[in-house]
Amino acid sequence: MLRAMSHPSDVVFDPAAAYPDIPVLTAALARRDWSACRALLDSVSPADRTSLIRTAGDEKDLEGFLREVLRKDPRDGAASALLGFHLIYLGWEIRTAAWAKDVTPEQWAGFRDHLCQAEQALIDASAYDRSDAAVWTARLLAARGLSLGSAESRRRYDRLSAAVPHHLPGQMELAWGLEPKWFGSWEELHEFARDSALAAPPGSPHGLLLAEAFFARYTTADNDAERGSLLHDQRMRNDLYRVAEHSVLHPEFRRDYGWVRAANTFAAYFALVQDQPNTARMFGVLGNLAVADPWSHQEADAAVRIRQARTWAFGGAR
Amino acid sequence: MITELEVGGIPVVLAPTTGPMHAGLVFRVGFADETLARRGITHLVEHLALHSFGVADYHYNGATGVEFTFFHMQGAEADIVAFLNGVCAALSDLPMQRLVTEKEILRTEENGRGEGPTEAMALWRHGARDYGLATYPEWGLTGITPDDLRAWVAQYFTKENAVLWIAGPGVPEGLELNLPSGRRQPVPAPSSALPVRPAHFSGPSNVVGWDTVVRREARSAVFSGVLERALFRSLRQESGLSYTVQTNYEPRADGSAVVTAVADVLPEKQSAVLGGFVDVLAGFRLGLIDEADVKTVITQRAEEATRAEESGARLPGQAFNLLSGRPVQTLEDSLAELRAVTVADVAAVAVTAHADGLLMTPGRTRADWAGYAEAPRESESVAQGTAYPSLEDPSVVVVAGERGISLVGDGSAATVHFDECSVLLIWPDGARRFVGHDGIQVHFEPTLFTNGHALLPALDSRVRPELHAAMPARDPSRIPAPQPPGQRGYGHPQAPSQGGKAGPIVGLVFAVPGLLLFGGLGLLMLLASTLDDVDRGFEVVLGLIFLAFAAGAGYGVFKAVRSLRGR
Repeated sequence: MLRAMSHPSDVVFDPAAAYPDIPVLTAALARRDWSACRALLDSVSPADRTSLIRTAGDEKDLEGFLREVLRKDPRDGAASALLGFHLIYLGWEIRTAAWAKDVTPEQWAGFRDHLCQAEQALIDASAYDRSDAAVWTARLLAARGLSLGSAESRRRYDRLSAAVPHHLPGQMELAWGLEPKWFGSWEELHEFARDSALAAPPGSPHGLLLAEAFFARYTTADNDAERGSLLHDQRMRNDLYRVAEHSVLHPEFRRDYGWVRAANTFAAYFALVQDQPNTARMFGVLGNLAVADPWSHQEADAAVRIRQARTWAFGGAR
Repeated sequence: MITELEVGGIPVVLAPTTGPMHAGLVFRVGFADETLARRGITHLVEHLALHSFGVADYHYNGATGVEFTFFHMQGAEADIVAFLNGVCAALSDLPMQRLVTEKEILRTEENGRGEGPTEAMALWRHGARDYGLATYPEWGLTGITPDDLRAWVAQYFTKENAVLWIAGPGVPEGLELNLPSGRRQPVPAPSSALPVRPAHFSGPSNVVGWDTVVRREARSAVFSGVLERALFRSLRQESGLSYTVQTNYEPRADGSAVVTAVADVLPEKQSAVLGGFVDVLAGFRLGLIDEADVKTVITQRAEEATRAEESGARLPGQAFNLLSGRPVQTLEDSLAELRAVTVADVAAVAVTAHADGLLMTPGRTRADWAGYAEAPRESESVAQGTAYPSLEDPSVVVVAGERGISLVGDGSAATVHFDECSVLLIWPDGARRFVGHDGIQVHFEPTLFTNGHALLPALDSRVRPELHAAMPARDPSRIPAPQPPGQRGYGHPQAPSQGGKAGPIVGLVFAVPGLLLFGGLGLLMLLASTLDDVDRGFEVVLGLIFLAFAAGAGYGVFKAVRSLRGR
C-alpha cells in the first residue's frame, strides 16, 4: 500500500491493496482470535466472505485451531469452510503442482487423504447449513481434486446457485472444472462463462469469467496459428465485448469482489486485440492495481508487460 | 382384533377380514438357515410340498424367504382346509419321484428371477453364510438327496416350528394340520463380513443403495420413512437426478431390522446421485431430522396399520412375531408405540444407523471421500503351500496347501482357508470353486495348470464333505484350454455362458469398454458391472479386477485374476 502510494505509476500485485480485509483476517487468525474473524466475515458480502476464507486457507497451521473452534460449535460454517480450504491447501502442498506422472504414490495418498478430510468437514457443514456459499465453493474445489466427476460438480454448483445466485467465487471454481483438462470442454466453459456473466446484474465483475475462459484457452493453445484463429474468431470477440459491456465497460461497474481481476483481464484482452481506448479505460479503472495473470505467470515479467501496455494505452509507444 | 388359538398343537392367529378367507401356514426356516452347499433346499421343499396342487384352480402359493417359509391360500373354507391339510401331508411324505423335475423347474425359476437392486448388499454385509446366502444361486440343488430333504423337513417343518394365520371368521371345519413334532428353531446369528463400518463397495451402475441394521422398533420404521422423504426431496424434487427413490424397513426375527434405501441413477449422473445421497445421509447422521416429516410418516404408518388390521394383512407379521418368540402385538399397542415416536427418537436411530451403514456406490464410483471405508474385496494373506503357475500367464499363481488355497497375481491375492470355507463347487470336468465365509472365491480350472487334475483329490479332501456341492456338467466347449500368452482368446463372447467363459485362471473374464484410473493413485483398478457366471449367467461382479489387460479384438479385454465376492 505504501509502496503503491509513493509510486503511483507502479504495478501493485498485492491483493491486500485492493482488499484490505485480507490482512485484517490473517492477523486475527494469527492471534487465534476467532471472534474477530467471525466479526469480519459476518460483515462482508457472500463473495467477499468466500474469497477471504479461501485466501486465508493458505495460512500455516490452522487445522488444530479450527478443529477446536468446530468442537465448540460444529455449526460454524465459516470455520468449516476455512478448515476445508486449509486441508485442501495442505493436500496440494503434499501433491505439489507437478505433472500427475511425476507425483509419487505417497504424495497421491497424502493428497487424497487431506481432500477426504476436507470433504468430510464440508459435508457436515453443508448438512448444517445448505445455504453457505463458502462451504459449497470449497466443495467444488474438493470435488475437482477428488475427481468426483462433472455431474457431482454440477450438483454442487446447482445447490450453491439455489442458495446464493451469481456467487462469483463458486462460478470461478466450476469454470476451472469446465476446462478440458478436468471434466469439461472449451465450448462448455465458454457457454457457462458467457451465460453466467450476462445473467449477473449489470456492472458486476462477472465478465471476468469469460475473459479468463478466453485466456485459459489462449495461453494453452499449441501454436500461433491456433492463437491467431482464437483472436480473430468473430463469435468469441462478439461474446467478449457483449460481456464486457455488461460488466467492466458498464457505466455502473462496481468495485465488488473480483473487480481487479475483471478489469485486469479485460485490459489484457483489449491490449491483445489492439483496442486502445478500452485498454486505457481498464487501466484507468485499475490505477496501480494489477494481477499477474494473464500477462505472465511471473510477477516481474507481468509488471514489464503491464507497464508497456499501459504506456501504449495512454498514448505512448508500445 | 387378533385372537390367538391352537389347531393340532400349532398356534393360530386369527382376525376378521373384509374379503374371502385367507390363511397361511408359516415355518421358521429360510435361506438364512441353509448352508451354501445345500443352498436351495428350503425352496425345493416348498415346491415339492405344493406339487400335488399343480393343476388345482386355487389362489394359492408358497414363498421361501430369508427367515420364514409359508404356504397360503385365499378362497372358500373347504378349499383352504384341503390345501393346508394337503401341504402338511405332502411335507410328511415328499413326492421324491418329482425331485429331478422340480430341480429343473427351480433352475428355470432362478434364471428368470429378476434381481433386486440391493440383493448384493447382503453378501457384502454378511459374506457367504446365513443372512448373506440369499444373494447366492441355489448351488445345492444338484447334490440334494431325498435323505437331505427328509432331514431338513424333520428339523424345520414341524408343529413346534409353525404358526398358522387365518383372516376370516374362525378356524374352518376339518383343519387338521398333521405335522411331526420337533423343536422351535432359533434364527442364526448374522455373520459379518464388514470389519469396519460405515463401509462402501461398488455395485451396479444404475443404482445407489444403502442399508443398515437397527433395532426393531417403531422409531426405526419411522426413521426409514423419514429417510425416504428426505432422499426423495433431494434427489428427485430438488435435483431431478433420480426417478425412483425408496426405502424399506424389514424386521428380522432376532429383534433387529434392516433399513434399505435405493435411488436409481442415469449413467451420466452417477457421481451426482451418490453425492446427493451422501449429503442426505450426513444430515441424518448429524441428527438433523425434519419434524414435519416425522409427523407425516407417523400418520401414514398409522393409517396403513389400521387398514392392514381391517383386511387381515397384519396377520402374517404377527405369525412371524410368534415364531420369533415375540408376543402378538395388538393394533392399539402398535399405534401407541408409533405415535410416541419423537424427532429425538428418529435422530437417535439415525446415528446408530449411520454407524452400521453399508453404501453401494454406482459403477466405478467410490465413497472413501465421504468417510465410508472400503469393504474388503481381497484377502490379506496368502495360503502356505506349493505354487502352481498358470500355463497361460506364469505371473498368475495358484498356491495350494494344507490349510488353504490362494490365487495370486500382481500383488493381490484371493485366499480361501479350508476351515473358513462355505462351499466347494465341484464340476464333473474337474473345475473347482472355493467360496470362503467372507465371500471371497478361488476358482480353479485344472486344464490351465500342469498336472492340474492330479491336484484335485488333495484339494477335495481338505474341505469337509458336507461342504461339497456337485455342479451340473458343463458343455465341453466351455471347458478352458490353455493358450500361450499373447494368444488368449477369452472364450466365446457370444455364446451363452455355462461353465466359465474360458477364463484363463478364475473363469472371470471381463470385456469392458474402458479403464478407470482411480483418483490418480496410479493403481489400475477396474470394477465391472457385469460378469458371466460360471454356471448360471447372472452372477454379478462385485470383485476387484486387476492385473494385465490384453488387447482384445477391437475392445479392451481385461483378465480378472480374482473373483472376489462374486456370487
